[in-house]
Amino acid sequence: MPESLADAHELVDDLVGDQAIEWDRAGLIPDGVLRTLANRGLLCAEVPEASGGLGMSSAANGEFTAFVGSRCSSLRSVMTSQGMAAWTIQRLGSSRQHAAYLPRLAGGQLAAVAFSEPDAGSDLSAMTTTIEPDGDAVVLRGQKVWTTAAHYADLIVVVGRYGSGAAAVVVPTSASGVTVTRVPRPSGCRAAGHADVRFDDVRLPVIAVLGGGQPLMLLVTTALAYGRISVAWGCVGILRACLDAARHHARTRRQFGRPLAQHQLVGRHLANLLTGEQIATRMCEHASRCWDSGSPDMVVASVLAKQVSAVQAAQGAAAAVQVLGSVAAHEGHAVERAYRDAKLMELIEGSTEICQLILSDHAVSMTAR
Amino acid sequence: MSQDLTTTAESIAQTIAAFVSKRVGADVPADKDLFESGLVSSLFAMELVVHLEQAFSVQILGDDLKRDNFRSVQAMTALVLRLNGAE
Repeated sequence: MPESLADAHELVDDLVGDQAIEWDRAGLIPDGVLRTLANRGLLCAEVPEASGGLGMSSAANGEFTAFVGSRCSSLRSVMTSQGMAAWTIQRLGSSRQHAAYLPRLAGGQLAAVAFSEPDAGSDLSAMTTTIEPDGDAVVLRGQKVWTTAAHYADLIVVVGRYGSGAAAVVVPTSASGVTVTRVPRPSGCRAAGHADVRFDDVRLPVIAVLGGGQPLMLLVTTALAYGRISVAWGCVGILRACLDAARHHARTRRQFGRPLAQHQLVGRHLANLLTGEQIATRMCEHASRCWDSGSPDMVVASVLAKQVSAVQAAQGAAAAVQVLGSVAAHEGHAVERAYRDAKLMELIEGSTEICQLILSDHAVSMTAR
Repeated sequence: MSQDLTTTAESIAQTIAAFVSKRVGADVPADKDLFESGLVSSLFAMELVVHLEQAFSVQILGDDLKRDNFRSVQAMTALVLRLNGAE
């Protein structure tokens, strides 16, 4: 089904309307909203048409991701999870596995990806979850935390140790031995369905095992590449929402006999917001061009885009709160949500500090030019 | 091995070696173990996957992503030859 970006934006505006504030308060996105988008393939729009998806480019899906992020970061966060699950299956799976799973993700089912564990956050090499062969099946054992969208998910792609390396395994949340427990009252993206998930001797068919044998960190880097560029575009959305709210307020609110925008210290906030939005947008556009042209630079470009966009979003949201003052000082206000959501973006998919370490390693290993 | 195949293998190995050398800033012998020598980070490993796919129009999926296939220029050349032959 061909899907124009304009139609997709219109659908999201119809579905979200002015509800994002309520979803944030309730910590829940209505099932119908998620299923409608999932059925249209819009939660993982880059799945190729041959696998039942929309086959969107990274650039187009990026703009769509930013649009959703400007309306509701929780919904955008669910999109990031779904897209990352699809990408991981596409990247690590065989063509048989593509056929088994991708049409389901592009056609209505919801998915999450589980990395973090109680003792393996930034240091994912400390991961202890295991996937072990057992006759004609595999058995999954372990515990994952902060799995975004797991509360809504039909399938969870779980990363674990497998032989001397690592693998990912596709687990139906309905399987025996799977326990999903919501993270109570997260500080940001409150309706993104974050959950802790336990896997007690979960038996799965061998076809559920993606990859296998590659080093754990290569597998994690591969899966996270999509998560990073998706979060980066989501941060562009946060910046656009904040810029819109701040410039509207600065034009209309008058103090000391003139609009706020004519006070220079407020004007600086507006200039910084615009600058931040443009910097983040350009970084994301570059990263998407790398994805769409199949350039090896896509890996580093995605880390860069995530790093820059998350930092800009956190700074931009703080500036927007400052401009709106008491107007934004209400739980759930678009800018107040942005402030909480943006900070969370500096923690996930590689914290700001972890991304800096990756980039510093890259800087050291780069050749002179 | 026929003359054609030898030539193909050589040109594939040259393309891969050029990419690796440019990235690490040093000449890399075809049999050098890139993982043991610490030349390959996780980021670079994934860049290698994307490079091979793009440069040789192959798809590297599933079990083919295992570390041994990327251990050296030689190993990557063998992988590309096998994937090309499988078409």
